[in-house]
Amino acid sequence: MQIMEIFSSKLPVGENLVIKKSRFEPLAKHDGSKRISIVSGIHGDELEGQYVTYLLASWLKANPNAIRGIIDIYPGVNALGIDSITRGFPLYEVDLNRVFPGGEDEFLPGQLVHALALDVKGSDIAIDIHSSNIFLREIPQIRINKEFSNATLPLAKELNCDFIWIHDAVTVLEATFSHTLNTLGTKTLVVEMGVGMRLTKEYGFQLLTGILNLMKKEGIIETDEAFEVREPFSSEVGDVFYLNSPTSGLFVPALSHCDIIKQDDKIGDIVNPLTGEIIETLFAPHDGILFTLREYPVVYEGSLIARIFGGSDEKN
Amino acid sequence: MKKIEIFKLTSLNREPLLVEGYLFEGSDPEAPSVAIVGAMEGKTILPLYSASKLIDFLKNSISDSKKILGNILIIPSINHYALNINERFWPLDKTNLNMMFPGYDKGETTQRIAKKVFDAIEGYTHGIILETREDLSTCMPYVKEFKSGFEDLEDAKKFGLKIIHYKALRPTDTVSLQYNWQLWGTKAHSIVCPGETELNENSDEIFESLVNYLNKNNIIKHKFLSAYESAIITSEDIEIIKTPKSGIFIPTKKIGTQVIEDEIIGKVLHSLEGKVIHKIIAPCNGVITCSYKNALILENAVAFRIIKNS
Ligand SMILES: [Zn+2]
Repeated sequence: MQIMEIFSSKLPVGENLVIKKSRFEPLAKHDGSKRISIVSGIHGDELEGQYVTYLLASWLKANPNAIRGIIDIYPGVNALGIDSITRGFPLYEVDLNRVFPGGEDEFLPGQLVHALALDVKGSDIAIDIHSSNIFLREIPQIRINKEFSNATLPLAKELNCDFIWIHDAVTVLEATFSHTLNTLGTKTLVVEMGVGMRLTKEYGFQLLTGILNLMKKEGIIETDEAFEVREPFSSEVGDVFYLNSPTSGLFVPALSHCDIIKQDDKIGDIVNPLTGEIIETLFAPHDGILFTLREYPVVYEGSLIARIFGGSDEKN
Repeated sequence: MKKIEIFKLTSLNREPLLVEGYLFEGSDPEAPSVAIVGAMEGKTILPLYSASKLIDFLKNSISDSKKILGNILIIPSINHYALNINERFWPLDKTNLNMMFPGYDKGETTQRIAKKVFDAIEGYTHGIILETREDLSTCMPYVKEFKSGFEDLEDAKKFGLKIIHYKALRPTDTVSLQYNWQLWGTKAHSIVCPGETELNENSDEIFESLVNYLNKNNIIKHKFLSAYESAIITSEDIEIIKTPKSGIFIPTKKIGTQVIEDEIIGKVLHSLEGKVIHKIIAPCNGVITCSYKNALILENAVAFRIIKNS
């Protein structure tokens, strides 16, 4: 394993901002071997990906003979943000996943993402691991832009996630890592799982299994170890139902994340801590799987409370 | 003048956020109308100050209300919650209201706010958005006009600001108020305000440009100060001067100054040892339009922008 610096900038007072990757390569060169890049921490308040890259790096260290391709691991893209609990890039308050592809002549966040994009470019596959944000808890899922789904959907199915969400192309998302790398010819998948500022160990192991399975299928590792992966449900065969808070208050959930629920099941209450009143009780808009659930209790009118994936209503 | 409620949002512990618009009804039904959106974010003062000063001006300085010809709606702030605690964006989830347009009434909180604002300002002939610079620089106030296919540069000249920055549309600009407002048929312009947190002797320039604009568009009739003839600037006209070193930044030339090639316009000191580690030299003749705001400057940061003399 080699540790490499992909970007460095001298900060004003006695410190360098350095973005690092670790590279795992086969002991002997293999022709035509593939390269995969695992990226996390583009958002500084998301840590689940760092746990996955830890697990992956330790697996690779323990199994050096299994390595057939190149595995690049970029655990902490927004290094300043992660170490200061800041989602965006500190100073600029900018979302790094809205400034791709960046450029050498841009502001510091743009220079950083540019360096990342250039470094990942040329990989066959990239996986960008996110963990939602501090507000919402997500089951392990892959988000796919329809525009690139032909190339990326088959890979997504290998990743041992529970849900694959294929969304329409939106112009504003062209400024993301995944859109940039997909455009550059790297098959790039976005994982969302868990919640901001926390680690969910079981999800970490679940995604590790998926990544190892994908790497084995792609010939990037060769091992006798068998990786059993679950069959994800996909937004192709159903709809996503949103539940936003109708009012502001304190949200108290009534069920646990990931439950299978029926329409009109109680999801939780919005309460008033001053008066002891329940302001509003929230019910499921549809049968299905509660794949997103509010984690942060303070809500305003409009705050997302839950997302449910349910079968399509059209019966034919 | 009457106050109209744009939206009201309750909060767990804070007083409700009540956002109001100030509507001045014009005397001439044929006259064009204008809506002005002030502060969408906190931490800076000029969007709020300029909008509220205009409200006072229309109320108290125009003696004859018949001289207000077209309808004028001014929403001085849509983000009191951020302004009051010196946050920049929406205080709970830190989303940028100016990336939520045209809004969505069933969506997240800031999408809902954007939708209510958009409903209130839709249909006006002209639209003005008072924005704050998004980087760590400060500048002369200027009109920002996207190359969106809907822009009206002649109309943008009516502010009489020195510069109109005519720039390419980025993917993230497609969710801005300017773009969406134009898409729905309003001649919308953004004035980019320097990110000041204090007022000084130049602080009325934006307010004055608003009055110029209303005059030139026959929305009000009021003899006023003369204005500049705006220059339309694209990225080719701008020389970017970066500093190769980080440290303590001392600009020695002010924004708005004419500088000559090879002149020293700033320096960078070693932040721990104080010695000069870099001198910033003007690469061309021109006017400094923008300079880095923070005293601690990053490596490779844009220290100055100069519009080249041509
Ligand atoms: Zn994220």
